[in-house]
Amino acid sequence: MEPLKIGITGVRGVVGETLTPELVVRFAEAFGSYADGGRMLVCRDPRPSGPMVQAAVTAGLLAVGCEVVDLGVCPTPSLQLAVPWLGARGGVSITGGHNPPEWNALKFVRGDGLYLSAEQGEELLDVFHQGAAGRVGWERIRNGVEDADAIGHHLDALAAAFDTAAIGSRRLRVAVDCGNGSCARLTPRWLERLGCEVLPINDDPSLPFPRLPEPSVAAAAQARALVLAGRADLGLVLDADGERLSLVDETGRALSEEMTLPLAVEAALSRERGPVVTNVSTTGLVERVAARYGAMVVRTPVGQAYVSEAILEHGAVVGGEGNGGVAVPRVQATHDSAASAALLLRHLAETAEPLSAQVAALPTLVVRKLAVPVPPSVLYSALAEFREAVGAVEGATVDQTDGVKISWPDGWVHVRASNTQSLVRIIAEAESDERAGERLEWARERLRT
Amino acid sequence: MRAIPTLKISVSGVRGVVGESLTPEMVTRFAQAFGTYVGGGRIVVGRDPRTSGEMVRQAVLAGLVSSGCRVADLGVCPTPTVQLLVRQLGAAGGVAITASHNPPEWNALKFVGGDGLFLGPARGRELLDIYHQGNYAKIPGAAQRSPERIADAVERHVRTVVDALGRLPAGPRRLEVVVDPGGGAASRAAGLLVREIGAEVFAIHTDADGRFPRPAEPVPENLGALGDAVRAHGADVGFAQDMDGDRLALVDETGRPIGEELTLVLAAEPVLAREPGPVVTNVATTDAVEAVASRYGCVVHRTRVGEANVAEGMRSHRAVIGGEGNGGVIYPRVNFARDSLVGMALVLHRLAASGETVSALAAAYDRFRVVKLQRHCPADQVRPVLRHVRETWAGRPVDLADGIKVRLDDSWFILRGSNTEPIVRVIAEAPTTEAARALAERVMADVAACLGAEQSSTPHP
Repeated sequence: MEPLKIGITGVRGVVGETLTPELVVRFAEAFGSYADGGRMLVCRDPRPSGPMVQAAVTAGLLAVGCEVVDLGVCPTPSLQLAVPWLGARGGVSITGGHNPPEWNALKFVRGDGLYLSAEQGEELLDVFHQGAAGRVGWERIRNGVEDADAIGHHLDALAAAFDTAAIGSRRLRVAVDCGNGSCARLTPRWLERLGCEVLPINDDPSLPFPRLPEPSVAAAAQARALVLAGRADLGLVLDADGERLSLVDETGRALSEEMTLPLAVEAALSRERGPVVTNVSTTGLVERVAARYGAMVVRTPVGQAYVSEAILEHGAVVGGEGNGGVAVPRVQATHDSAASAALLLRHLAETAEPLSAQVAALPTLVVRKLAVPVPPSVLYSALAEFREAVGAVEGATVDQTDGVKISWPDGWVHVRASNTQSLVRIIAEAESDERAGERLEWARERLRT
Repeated sequence: MRAIPTLKISVSGVRGVVGESLTPEMVTRFAQAFGTYVGGGRIVVGRDPRTSGEMVRQAVLAGLVSSGCRVADLGVCPTPTVQLLVRQLGAAGGVAITASHNPPEWNALKFVGGDGLFLGPARGRELLDIYHQGNYAKIPGAAQRSPERIADAVERHVRTVVDALGRLPAGPRRLEVVVDPGGGAASRAAGLLVREIGAEVFAIHTDADGRFPRPAEPVPENLGALGDAVRAHGADVGFAQDMDGDRLALVDETGRPIGEELTLVLAAEPVLAREPGPVVTNVATTDAVEAVASRYGCVVHRTRVGEANVAEGMRSHRAVIGGEGNGGVIYPRVNFARDSLVGMALVLHRLAASGETVSALAAAYDRFRVVKLQRHCPADQVRPVLRHVRETWAGRPVDLADGIKVRLDDSWFILRGSNTEPIVRVIAEAPTTEAARALAERVMADVAACLGAEQSSTPHP
């Protein structure tokens, strides 16, 4: 039996096994009750299990008196922008995000368009477990579902935040691999509106995912070929629901998704000074770039909700995570690959510096990652034992913002439990591949599984 | 004493009150059980317009898709449209989301087999076992199929009826009809059928937003507005339907309801005149059915009450027409279901061919007067009540096919417990309404005495 993960970031499982319609219905009832009825937006990514999950979500929301607006197949950030636009009480995005196609999940968005905070996630879980949903009678239940064009609104919001004419004057050629995800409905249109010459691939959401939905070097093969064949200035590799992005430079070299945020930080700070927010597990390149502009870096626990809250709290000009998710607060304080692509394109257009040169101008830091499968029954105790085993490390600082992060002057290693899968993630960064590998090994030896 | 339960899970489906017992979780589990029972394949889904219909529909779709079904989603449509489309699409089954004549807070699922018939007791019991076992088929997400929307189901239904029965003959004058679908599932279909078959239509109560403009049952006391409209337009006939469009009642040209018992009788005439054959109806329906059948030399077979039972009986007796005294007409050549659109078409053909008024046609059955009464009766009291009444009438010919039916010299009555609600009903037929009412009231007095005795023998704590 594949695992089911019910946590503060939502509920996630394998359709056909653990993510059953009755579970989804009960979660949607809990969320609708928690939000106290009102208007709720619902969207999904194009996975084949989406219509089933969406029907179950809609049934649950209607049962507790919500007014449901169906956004159809649409990126999560488009839903997040539409929640305040439509005066909704919240939203549910049905997306497995970067997880493989057999997975699906519910992500819960609150009235300001951000994900539920950790505390709110806990409250929702309490409502769910209590099972006391506020079902309404026949006089109050809504007898239908409306539609709205969240993608059209997202395009307008993006156009209001960026000077499209200035970017368009450079006539950049952009290859974009939408992975047949929801972004296929948004990103190519947005790039055209930015005046780019767009070379799209995998841009039909009715077709199966051609690759794993997670943007990474491995997922960039087609985008690399397209950049070379089309002599593009830039290649974009998108995830299934429009949050995350990895890049291919004009020489056809695929960049790690870790590079998206540092490049976006450079692009943002070169125009506008202000704080930068990222999580504890993201590359130290963020600090190195921020230091050039004297900008402060705020580190949060891993997870978009934490990053978004810190962006608002500190008035950050950019934020994001090492998974390729970048938030441009002028558009919204949450990961939005269309907004982050525009930020990078604006910088390309303004500096006329090719992406490979921008990368070369950054110090070399190597990130190595290891995902260790751990049974759900011992996931958190394994982490606690690791913390004890490590104790105090000479010449290093130990940070427990999220899991355990041990930092040396020339790098760090971070060990934490995944929010979404039954895994312990180990991430190490150093100035050489060898050193990063040693740190990874150092941590792995101390993790009992 | 415990509260009266609002959830009824039985071989005829599941029925409950929205906001209380009919939860989306239970509905989606029932839909999975049905998907598991039929083994995947195509399933037709339709709903009536009551306010909880959208919630229930979404829960049904989720459950069916999850268990491997390919859903043909008809949206709001009459229940007989679901049954017709099951056969026309060669589907594995259907789900009708409707609590038919129950008040607006109720909703229900009714399950249709691949033959277009409701699941009877045998198949219904098998489905219940799967529901209770809780081990439903689940297919991987990647193999799930998105529901397919069929937007023209009502048009297909109307076209099927008109193609099968033909348009009305062109006469000196077009028939004028008032339809009263009661804001129900047939709100669009009723007017469309009348127009397509070649009559003039006026319509009332066609706003199908789930707020009932009149009580759902098309019984005489609910048809005042229809009678007024018939008189105001000088129409030839008024048609009233129930919430899910399976039952039909008539109002004559003077605006008087002729009683839903006569719908089947008038609809049978043009069928038996053209293709004589067996007629099937339930034990609680008027003897006027025998009167019309004997006129054409046809036999009548009686079954237990309920569409599934009548349809089963029609299939085994190869009936040419059948139905029930509640206004449900089944004409298998078009649809093996109680179908108000078929009933309307047959009655209109009868009117056009005879050139007579509805009141004149009804007058031929004047000696069959039916009175129906009902009262609350806890489910566990139904059997003692029936036993008591049987003893009271010992020595009279008795039929125990369904409840207890007792035949007197020129009259009869039947007393039975409802399949869907905690009530008992008596139906009495006699040559005059007064005599029928007297008989029905006498039986009800017996019932009251029996319940009262029961209550006094078990005093409240």
